[in-house]
Amino acid sequence: MTTNYMQTTTNLPVQEISDELLIQQFKDGSKEAFDTLYYRHLPRVHNRVRYVVPESDVEDVTQEVFIAALKSLPSFRGDSQFGTWLRTLTNHKVAEFYRKRGRKQEPQLAPLSEALSHMTGSTSQTLEERIYIQRALRELPDNYQEVILLRFAEDLQFNEIAELTNQNLEATKSLFRRAIAALRTHLE
Amino acid sequence: MSPTNQRNDLEIERQLADFADQVMEGKMNQSASSVDDELLGLEETILRLDRAFPKKIIEDATSKQMLVRLKARMRREEQVEKPSFWKSLFNFQSSPQMGMALAVLAVLVLAVIAAPVLTSTTGTATGTASSSTSLPIVAGMVVLLLLALYWFGRKK
Repeated sequence: MTTNYMQTTTNLPVQEISDELLIQQFKDGSKEAFDTLYYRHLPRVHNRVRYVVPESDVEDVTQEVFIAALKSLPSFRGDSQFGTWLRTLTNHKVAEFYRKRGRKQEPQLAPLSEALSHMTGSTSQTLEERIYIQRALRELPDNYQEVILLRFAEDLQFNEIAELTNQNLEATKSLFRRAIAALRTHLE
Repeated sequence: MSPTNQRNDLEIERQLADFADQVMEGKMNQSASSVDDELLGLEETILRLDRAFPKKIIEDATSKQMLVRLKARMRREEQVEKPSFWKSLFNFQSSPQMGMALAVLAVLVLAVIAAPVLTSTTGTATGTASSSTSLPIVAGMVVLLLLALYWFGRKK
């Protein structure tokens, strides 16, 4: 990240400025505030999208998430955390991607060579495995898919997932086990 | 479910969660090693997932390039989305209030222009029934105009 300090009302380092304050600054006309939010949340959004969308479309869908966020931010009331809101937006954009794509063609029927050209350093075997797993993940119930994405794509700890989903730790681990078991069944 | 089974389930769930933690920390990328068949299968699934999606860190330069591309795309989309002033003014379907206001205005202007002309032409012939004969004509024109506006609005 290039900017370590922002020209803001506070002289805090960027890392210490909360999402809420950045959103307020964005609403007050600071374009730099959006850039900071973007850099902060890009890795998680990008990784989440990477788990469920073909490699060639990951950046496109990620962009759509942030475009939608930018358009909706002025009306963002802060009822939920920005990260949670962005996660919901990401899920909507992924669903929209498959709705649009479903009208054109089945994703799994996309030519392998085309997909491979977007991937550097990946063998066709890895790619096939990834497509296979992505399809299996999409077939899972929402709560199963969510707990897997939170743990693997977003690298959240189980206690963080429990807090986020308003469950206790045991229930979260139980859900995780059932989700992995369901994924295994789909992969067999 | 018996207490023993319940304890066993809790133990499997705890071990599986620990295994996932170790995989995510990069400490367990070789193979599953549980003696329990069910747990072994679940651990293998986690390893499969981890191998298919190795951790990918977006470098600063890539993030910056992505932001540049995002902003360029937004500018392009804004230009496409931005309709001209006249087009938006006459887009009755997206703003019916504006359409209605324009229709009322047009009717008023037409009535103001047409009323004296109609009054004077009929007035010279009869001398008494000028206003009463012009009113139905104006009303007819108003109805025609409203119908025309409605029709054009629907066509758009």
